[in-house]
Amino acid sequence: MRQVVKHRQCQADAWSMPDEAAAAAGVVVSLADYLAVQAGTLASPAPAGAALGVQLEPADDEAQLLPFAAQLQLVVVNFPKTAEGRGYTQGRMLRERYGYRGELRAAGAVLLDQVFLLARCGFDAFAMAPGENLTLAAAELDRFSVAYQTAVGTVVQPHRRGQVG
Amino acid sequence: MYRYDTLDHTLVAERVAQFRDQTQRFLAGQLSEDEFKPLRLRNGLYIQTHAPMLRVAVPYGLLSTRQVRMLAHLARKYDRGYGHFTTRQNIQYNWPKLEEVPDMLADLATVEMHAIQTSGNCIRNTTADHFAGIAPDEIDDPRPYCEIIRQWSTLHPEFNYLPRKFKIAVTGSPADRAASQVHDIGLHLRRGPDGQTGFEVLVGGGLGRTPIIGKVIRDFLPREHLLSYLEAVLRVYNRAGRRDNIYKARIKILVKAMGEEAFRAAVEQEWALIRDTALLLDPTEIDRMRKYFRPLPYEKLPDIDVTVGREAAFVAWYRHNTRAHKVSGYRAVMVSLKTPGIAPGDMTAEQMDGLADLADLISSGEVRSTHDQNLVLGDVRQQDLYETWQRLTALGLATANIGTLADMICCPGLDFCSLANASSISIAHQITERFSDIDYLYDLGPLEIKMSGCMNACGHHHVGHIGILGVDKHGEEWYQITIGGSASGDSSLGDVIGPSVAKLEVANTLAMLLDVYVSIREEDETFLQVVRRVGVTPFRERVYAPSR
Repeated sequence: MRQVVKHRQCQADAWSMPDEAAAAAGVVVSLADYLAVQAGTLASPAPAGAALGVQLEPADDEAQLLPFAAQLQLVVVNFPKTAEGRGYTQGRMLRERYGYRGELRAAGAVLLDQVFLLARCGFDAFAMAPGENLTLAAAELDRFSVAYQTAVGTVVQPHRRGQVG
Repeated sequence: MYRYDTLDHTLVAERVAQFRDQTQRFLAGQLSEDEFKPLRLRNGLYIQTHAPMLRVAVPYGLLSTRQVRMLAHLARKYDRGYGHFTTRQNIQYNWPKLEEVPDMLADLATVEMHAIQTSGNCIRNTTADHFAGIAPDEIDDPRPYCEIIRQWSTLHPEFNYLPRKFKIAVTGSPADRAASQVHDIGLHLRRGPDGQTGFEVLVGGGLGRTPIIGKVIRDFLPREHLLSYLEAVLRVYNRAGRRDNIYKARIKILVKAMGEEAFRAAVEQEWALIRDTALLLDPTEIDRMRKYFRPLPYEKLPDIDVTVGREAAFVAWYRHNTRAHKVSGYRAVMVSLKTPGIAPGDMTAEQMDGLADLADLISSGEVRSTHDQNLVLGDVRQQDLYETWQRLTALGLATANIGTLADMICCPGLDFCSLANASSISIAHQITERFSDIDYLYDLGPLEIKMSGCMNACGHHHVGHIGILGVDKHGEEWYQITIGGSASGDSSLGDVIGPSVAKLEVANTLAMLLDVYVSIREEDETFLQVVRRVGVTPFRERVYAPSR
């Protein structure tokens, strides 16, 4: 079973991703499918009692999730390449603008050295790239003890400086 | 100048530890070349033709003498005894060993310096007018705002994986000495209708393959909104900038594709949502930053004529290498890093140490780097200029050629850079040898030659009065020449005079261009003014005349 770093712990992932067979606990679908299910034009692929999560691709507009922010339990933001940077904005917007409080998971080509920045954009779960050590990934959350900017979890005010975490 | 507090020290120390760890993982084979590349780039480390190259940040071009001595130490201990000042006010070391780079960064941290974000697709070192705080025509000192931007942009969590690199320049004077119009964002300090301080905001300028002058997207941005507005611009760019083609990934391409109006509307829409959040700058915070850049306790001194009875060499140096200061009795001194026979921008460790001593003795204990690869001693009493000249002469830093043809901007080129098509430094040598008569250079007046070894335009060739671009033709080095570019307040991009010329013909071609200029100039017309008046044609006809 896939392991993810969630809330600083390594744990088994109970969810199935869009290209996988539906898991009993929860099923993640694409944004288009998620919106179609919500609109009633597509039957939910989730088994009875299972939650429905959504995976955003870099070009997706996370604002479309605003009406569902309170009910969603998992939003996966996919990083097809390590250099892909749109997900950082998607994460911040979900947390800061749309009030999303569920699990926000970075997935795809996510390497150790991105974990700290992603966490400051609101990510609290990480499905790391193959070969990445999850224990080291969790430790990366403490890489820096300070920050210059206001971001998720850090309000730097009035002197724009603050402790992280 | 700005001094680190506990937070700055902690952050830089933690960054050094992070990079040491990344380097060890790479050397141990736990990180592939491809995985290590974006990590090392974000710390200014390139793998070049001969060796790694480390680019150290000089925030807005300001150095204390303690920092200059550390740069000398690095040159001696980890390099071959010299460093190279760049067109973005930074310094590069061309010969460090990869495994020693973390030690270099640790040494830099002891003097409040780093190499964070001097490369990679992130917000780079913020540059500024090298006469900030001392220019007579200044509206306000840009450096407090540069430091605010430096801190905001350093390890910004959202904007570390942008479509492409991102450069910000800030000026406080109407005269643009920071090439701000060819930056991704150019900020010009202005006074608003009620006398409040703010910025004119330009977006989408740049050089490279698609040279564009930045567009004004906001006439006046009150200063307290600086960071929210920057964050809005960056967010629009991070979302919408192209990521499929690195040659179309800069913000200038996005602005062009969306159209200026649509881009402005997108920024304003985003800004409206964040302008009154924690990004709003507290006036006490701005004041705190301004205190770091307070004017020196200048003496009350009259302006004096220091040239009376002095030898011609000093007078020439005074005329060409010193500039007006906002305080009477003082001058700003340009330290020429354009010694004939030496690569433009190169400086030895001995020269760095000597200059640091001189700056402590005779100026403010600060040294500034310029975007045209020279240095500045900002606050020299006029009565000390003669001694300054003597000491600079002894250091080999008093070549009286600032603003002349010999004051070329030049990238490292094929000799060091793995991207280059052609050599820049050998062309610089060819030109300085050909035009060695300093009186001829003085007669030619202000003339900016800018040279790049490839399309990436690190040498800003598009905005040179004469621009030289190295191109590869079937494995041979050729040079395309443009005229009429400028990066000053009246920025313009140069026009190509015709087909590129062979390597050995570059100086000859320049000689022909200058002959045309001298023969048709009227009174005190500069080269740039003549090109703007008559266009490219007379120059083209001469260079490509059938008789040749």
